[in-house]
Amino acid sequence: MIERLTRIALWIDERVYISKLFAATAGHSVPRTSGSWFYVFGSGTLVCFMIQIVTGICLALVYVPSASEAYSSLEYLNYQQQLGWFLRAMHNWGSNFMVAIMLAHLIQVFLFGAFKYPREMTWISGVVLLLCTLGMAFTGQVLRFDQDAYWGLGIGAAMAGRVPLMGPAIVHMMLGGPIIAGETLSRFFTLHVFVIPGTIIAIVSLHLRLVLTKGINDYPVPGKLVNKETYIEEYEEELKKDGVPFFPKAISKDMIFSGLVLLGIVGCAAYFGPAGPRGVPDPSLINTAPKPDFFFLWLYGVLSLMPDYLETVLMLTAPFIVIGILFAVPFISNTGEKSPRRRPLAVLSVLFIFIVLGVFNYLGTFAPWSPHMEAWTSAATPVNYLEGRSPLERQGALVFHNKQCVNCHSLGGAGGLRGPTLDNVATRLTGDQLVRQVIQGSGNMPAYGKNLNPSEVTALVAFMRTLHSPTESPARDSTRSEQAAAEKTPAKALAQTGEMQE
Amino acid sequence: MAVTEPETLKKEQPKTLHIEMPRRAFLLKLGFILNGIAAMFVSVPVLGYVLSSFRTEGPFKSWIALGPVESFPENQTRLAKYRNPYTRPWDGPTANIPCWVRRVQGEKFQIFAINCTHLGCPVRWFQESHLFMCPCHGGAFYEDGSHASGPPPRGLYEYKYKIENGQLWVYGGQLPTLNQSA
Amino acid sequence: MKRFKIGFFVAGVLMISFLTGCTTRLPGQPTEAERWRAPTDVTDFSQLYAQNCAGCHGVGGRLGAALPLNDPLYLSFVTDEALRTAISKGRPGTNMPAFSQQVGGSLTDQQIELVITGMRRQWSRPDELKGVELPSYSVNGIATSNSPKSATVNDYSVNPSQTSDAQRGAVAYQTYCAGCHGVNGAGGTAGSIVDPYFLNLVSNQGLRTTVVVGRSDLGKPDWRSNVPGHPMSSQEIDDVVAWVAMHRQTAEATSVTATEGTRAVSLQAK
Repeated sequence: MIERLTRIALWIDERVYISKLFAATAGHSVPRTSGSWFYVFGSGTLVCFMIQIVTGICLALVYVPSASEAYSSLEYLNYQQQLGWFLRAMHNWGSNFMVAIMLAHLIQVFLFGAFKYPREMTWISGVVLLLCTLGMAFTGQVLRFDQDAYWGLGIGAAMAGRVPLMGPAIVHMMLGGPIIAGETLSRFFTLHVFVIPGTIIAIVSLHLRLVLTKGINDYPVPGKLVNKETYIEEYEEELKKDGVPFFPKAISKDMIFSGLVLLGIVGCAAYFGPAGPRGVPDPSLINTAPKPDFFFLWLYGVLSLMPDYLETVLMLTAPFIVIGILFAVPFISNTGEKSPRRRPLAVLSVLFIFIVLGVFNYLGTFAPWSPHMEAWTSAATPVNYLEGRSPLERQGALVFHNKQCVNCHSLGGAGGLRGPTLDNVATRLTGDQLVRQVIQGSGNMPAYGKNLNPSEVTALVAFMRTLHSPTESPARDSTRSEQAAAEKTPAKALAQTGEMQE
Repeated sequence: MAVTEPETLKKEQPKTLHIEMPRRAFLLKLGFILNGIAAMFVSVPVLGYVLSSFRTEGPFKSWIALGPVESFPENQTRLAKYRNPYTRPWDGPTANIPCWVRRVQGEKFQIFAINCTHLGCPVRWFQESHLFMCPCHGGAFYEDGSHASGPPPRGLYEYKYKIENGQLWVYGGQLPTLNQSA
Repeated sequence: MKRFKIGFFVAGVLMISFLTGCTTRLPGQPTEAERWRAPTDVTDFSQLYAQNCAGCHGVGGRLGAALPLNDPLYLSFVTDEALRTAISKGRPGTNMPAFSQQVGGSLTDQQIELVITGMRRQWSRPDELKGVELPSYSVNGIATSNSPKSATVNDYSVNPSQTSDAQRGAVAYQTYCAGCHGVNGAGGTAGSIVDPYFLNLVSNQGLRTTVVVGRSDLGKPDWRSNVPGHPMSSQEIDDVVAWVAMHRQTAEATSVTATEGTRAVSLQAK
């Protein structure tokens, strides 16, 4: 029996050369040093991609890529389809893991100098894969066709629309029509399901082939320089002397890591569940505060904090500059030292980039630049700011809510963070300064002049003058005695400010 | 991949190639030319199909009735919705387009697009403070649509409007962006 | 080896129960409560209150800047009709905004009803006030309605009734209010109530409500306990409100010039 099976196996092998394929790929010889825990991220990313393919195909069995039905099919997946929520969660977490592990792979490869001669193409194909993966992340977010997806598309269109001359045409191309609608979703579905995955499969093949032909990067040793004349010989020498077959000698750590990744995805899916969908993508439901998915939060932060005058220029050129630099890395530093111990600039730039992205992402999670649109009716004034206050001051607290001040300025942690928090405002600004600020506004604050009557201004300022800790005294005008300042009502001060400016 | 093909298959071909050189070369050339022509015939419709949406001119915009003029009180700003005129049956809720209608007085109106001029997020009107605020990056606009504060580079996009038979009409149908009017 | 077998068995059982989707409910599985709902479909009173009212009227209906709604006395005092009008159309001239969608707010008529019934269900204590004769809600006993005309000016729709008299009010004020608000109303521990700017931001109905029901959360007594054992009479309430409201008139003049000033400044700002 066993003999017969062996014969069948041999017969097949003789026709399709499986064992030869295996020997030439998984069995190829690698430097012993590459069997390292640092070398597991590439295969980890590939495992994530496979999970995405499997779960993606499963989701496509139910999902309807139609603007009118996508949302209900997502809800169906969440609430009716057996384990539909779990597949959605796996797909979602798979993408998070894929982006994260891919970034780890990128850092490792960069720090270990793996992009240097003769592996430039490996790096470049990797950069293309990075872009494809981010493309998958964005298009995937669109396929979760909810309000975030809708307004995310709107933001994309608004950015593309800034391109000089071509802007409108690019927007039409991107949306497949004059507005975000049915064809837009079909378009992104095509990209997410056919075009980008196809590209990824093709480029992963190239990437892996390059790993086979140019060999995996040997573990960098400080002082061992890459030299174009001698590198390949040295590498082959090392393979002969100290090479081991990838399977079974160097694969174990990859396998352990992949297993952990898979368990991590399943665990996160089971524990945290799927993301959204958050709200029917109906633009006329305007009570929404769109927010991008995790991996684009840094972009959200950058777009919000950029100075206005640089915005269009940066928006349109920065992506190309960044991508250009990524592509140029192997040519900027093609030979020489590989070890991160001898490449302080490389280590510092990685640290710098990750601190910057980390900070922006962190800011993106609570978006201090976004007003809280519901705060004026939902964020209550802290009780200690109301107790023992005069009726006028309490009316001021109401004005503070009724005029939506609290949407941008927080009190006691409740409210928006767009403007400065006002818990101690009385120690910073005098009554007159408060009046001027409220009436005239400033670059980041609208002028409320036309929209507040004198009583409202007076009450509001009276309330804000009480906002200081008991140990600090409120700010006062040094050119005037306190007595006079107290007598001077803001309304009069107002009239004077007007005169003075004229 | 790096699988080496069996030696036996490779060896036979060179012989025949040498013997019938002129004819083979001609056929190869013909093959190239034929496929080149075919590729053109294939690619023109494919590209034409895909790139057709580059076109920004088209029957996208038209006049849409927003309702009787009386439904918009003077001195007030109200949210109005219309079904986008250029629509496909499967557009679903995405073709419900909102806009802010401000009736200044009498027959003088202002109709603003919902999209913030910064990055297109939906601005919301607050009648208490007479401001439009954007939930994304904190842009704010005055009641006449002019820029009040924050990152937006200009005031709100405005639609053309007209009044006919007591109805307010808006000229819409296109997502406004910085280089393209509402 | 045996341990392995048990492990496999447990994993297998988990797997099967998981695949059949029965019994186990994993923490990540979305619940019906997490399903997105349009804001106009929200019907839960606590949620509606927290989103739309808590900002001014306080978390749980107390200790906000505006009057506490979680006050059985107030809920017995106010009529449904008055609540409905106030919520849907706001109180023009005061800091109470309009919430009805018909006037550009965010709540549907049904949601406004839910808020009213919710407040009454959660916070009313009609039994406690049995036998207490409450003064009528508005001066002439009818619910106030706000005409849109008054939107720009203050809400004077509840004018002091014909029978009220500011002179008598001044006397009543000394009896009932001067203890906290000072002899002339401009001070004392509770702060000025004759400040014209303050008066421009409250309606006479608002003054009346505060005189009658007090602010239980901030320690302002109701009409019965200003002077213990000696409730204010209906007439006295009318008179005090008239006397306090009288101070608003004197503010008119200043407020006009100030508005001019505001214009000048805002023009400069542009």
